[in-house]
Amino acid sequence: MSITLDQVTKHYAGAPVVNDVSLDIGDGEFFVLLGPSGSGKSTLLRAIAGLSGVDHGRIALHGRDVTHVAARKRGVGLVFQNYALFRHMTVAENIEFALRVRHMRAGARRQRRQELLRLVALEGMDQRLPAQLSGGQQQRVAVARALAHKPEVLLLDEPFGALDAKIREELRRTIRQVQRELGITTVLVTHDQEEAFAMADRIGVMNLGRLLEMGAPHDLYSRPATRFVATFLGAANLILARRTPDGIQMGANTVAAAERSADVDEREVVAVVRPEEVEVAASREALSSGYLARGVVAEVVFTGALESLRVRLENGVQAPLLAQPDGAAGASLLVTRTQHEQRGFEIHPGQDVAIGVRRVHVLPTPLSSFTACAASPALADALSRQPLLAELAVRMKTRIAMRAEPQLGVPEAACAADGPFVGTTALASQADCAHRAEWLLRRGAQDLLVLPEHAAVPQRVLIHWMGEGSRSATLAVSASVLRHLSAEAVYVGIFPQQSARVRAQHGMRDLLDARSEAQLAHGLEMRTELRFGDVAQELALRLAEAPAQMLIVGVTELTRFAERFRGLLDGGQWPMLIVYRGSP
Amino acid sequence: MGAALPSALAGDATRPGQHTWLHSLVRWLFIAVSLTFLAAVLLAPLATVFVMALERGLQAYLHSFADPDTAAAVRLTLTTALVVVPINTLFGLAAAWAIAKFEFRGKSILITLIDLPLAISPVISGMIFVLLFGLHGWFGVWLREHDLSIIFALPGIMLATMFVTFPYVARELIPLMQQLGNDEEEAAITLGAGGWMTFFHVTLPKIRWGLLYGMVLCNARAMGEFGAVSVVSGHIRGLTNTMPLHIEILYNEYNFVGAFAVASLLTLLAALTLVVKTLVERTGYRRR
Repeated sequence: MSITLDQVTKHYAGAPVVNDVSLDIGDGEFFVLLGPSGSGKSTLLRAIAGLSGVDHGRIALHGRDVTHVAARKRGVGLVFQNYALFRHMTVAENIEFALRVRHMRAGARRQRRQELLRLVALEGMDQRLPAQLSGGQQQRVAVARALAHKPEVLLLDEPFGALDAKIREELRRTIRQVQRELGITTVLVTHDQEEAFAMADRIGVMNLGRLLEMGAPHDLYSRPATRFVATFLGAANLILARRTPDGIQMGANTVAAAERSADVDEREVVAVVRPEEVEVAASREALSSGYLARGVVAEVVFTGALESLRVRLENGVQAPLLAQPDGAAGASLLVTRTQHEQRGFEIHPGQDVAIGVRRVHVLPTPLSSFTACAASPALADALSRQPLLAELAVRMKTRIAMRAEPQLGVPEAACAADGPFVGTTALASQADCAHRAEWLLRRGAQDLLVLPEHAAVPQRVLIHWMGEGSRSATLAVSASVLRHLSAEAVYVGIFPQQSARVRAQHGMRDLLDARSEAQLAHGLEMRTELRFGDVAQELALRLAEAPAQMLIVGVTELTRFAERFRGLLDGGQWPMLIVYRGSP
Repeated sequence: MGAALPSALAGDATRPGQHTWLHSLVRWLFIAVSLTFLAAVLLAPLATVFVMALERGLQAYLHSFADPDTAAAVRLTLTTALVVVPINTLFGLAAAWAIAKFEFRGKSILITLIDLPLAISPVISGMIFVLLFGLHGWFGVWLREHDLSIIFALPGIMLATMFVTFPYVARELIPLMQQLGNDEEEAAITLGAGGWMTFFHVTLPKIRWGLLYGMVLCNARAMGEFGAVSVVSGHIRGLTNTMPLHIEILYNEYNFVGAFAVASLLTLLAALTLVVKTLVERTGYRRR
């Protein structure tokens, strides 16, 4: 491995900017770190270069641990967004700088310089000053300068940011060519997904300091695991759908056969439909793909090779569309069509069309939407405006439904509302909370989010499960929640006091197992802690240690639930997510 | 006509590129007014200095420099500038570096403190040193026991001059270094350069014109300082009189030729400084 990052964390003013990032980049690989501004990608690159330290974790280059090695001794080449050429030196002096530092003889220096200038196609420019070159040429010089000392790793920090489109494309090709020719391991940081697709062997998508997903461009595009990646890499229609034995049901129609999965539960899921996978035709019969609904064309935009449509779904369709690429609300679907398709069926705004879906991808996230549950509609409405819940819904681009249960918490009473509990059920934290939570869990709620009135976005999330049966579900839910928070994740393992010595060894192994499962199956990096004592008591103690914490706890049985959780739930100050996976 | 002028002016001002006779008249008027003002307030006094100095002929003018006290004053001023300017250059560099490159607690306090000498009266700047090192000052007794003199001696003059001139280099460099940023230094470091190499080959060339400009300003003030130095010097002829102080003494003794001769020399030194500054600016802008 050329570059190995192990749980790299960097805090700025108390908040993590890079959050537990682990990553392996192979020899000669072109890796692109993609993310919006503020996602921590540049900070991570600077950490690899050694220009900023890390608070936690390790960095290795070619198997050599460089976490505490000074930047000048790391032997990397770094290219900056604004070139950072030495403005008082000529092109030749700029390129030879690293060689002069290494006391190379003038003749050898000149030879290497000629070689590099040829590589970046700038022969004969030796005696120019940077100010006499165009932006694209300056960046070529910067690339040549960064390569002069034959670094093992080339790091590019938004190298095309300051260039216009034509030059950008040309330079992109040059850099890719140089990289292939030298076989040098390269990391490029960018916020431009097109650039990432064009250059990368592998892309890592970052958001809120976390590395969310990695993979080959095509895999990430066609099978994203998270909402963020689905919408950040290209445009996507996110749709709340139901997974049924027959397929993916959107509204009244089942549009596609379900992908094979071990999870056979019928439940709400988040479906991704790319705009180019939507088909429009004059009638349902003319569609060659699964019928979704009828719609009215709201907008037609010609963009050259492709035509972009916005189609408003007609009433009666039950599929609420979660997110539009531009954030616009309302049930309208983004569609792109090729010239060929346009010739086959011409479309005008206001036209009534039949909509079909060619391909649906279902996100593996267990969190689809929220249902605010309370004793009356007014209370449910108030709960839906709780700051943390509202913030989560916005970040997850999902909706908050409301459900009134007048008999909430009354023993033996049945549910008043029809239908199963959909998505994650939210419950206000109050005096008799433990009983209400048990009441809901016994009546089919699986993921229960208990919210104190003023709880805000947490900085740390504690994870614990009671019973191995809820382990993988808890990890999946935790990973899904944490993708939308910049909080750090800590798994708290708790063992009974009396068996401390015997269990300690056993406990450590459990911790490591949990950590590696979180990493492998869910891409979630977490810290681990081991404590001894009563579970609820230890968790309460741990939560009291610092403000702005949240607890995610997995349970497999509800016997004595209210009794055990009273201390944590009744009037608790922290948000708590209960993941219940009982055996039927 | 008088009433029509402003409105016509306003109309023209909103249409750039239109040159009417009125427009050019206004332009010449403005230039004439500012030149007249300059002549009256600046050039006339300057000319007076030289006219008065040469009033009794070149012989008398040159003769006044032969006076040992005058020569001593010139020497003292030059020595002070020679010591103070390099020290303040180093300090200014260090302070500007710290402020532009690092985040630390008390940074804004440091910036304010650097400006302090510009804000307080030079007389008070001198007083501070008398209060510290004078006979009845904090360290006065200790200094006398060890037979060290600071006040009414060369060290006091240098300290006072240093105090009033230390903002100039730092003031010039801080905005420049903040604007130029850290990227070039970081690039140098990733290319393998150490601290000194980065400083001498990257940072210093980058800021050299700003630095030189700050030094020129610092030098001008160091040679011309009157108030602070007057308080600490004690006006001992031939020993602790700098040029500005010496001019005052000569003038008070009705030795006008002598006073104005020294004044003309100081003026020439200032003019020389300004010429250097202008050259620096020109070269600097062309190179930047």
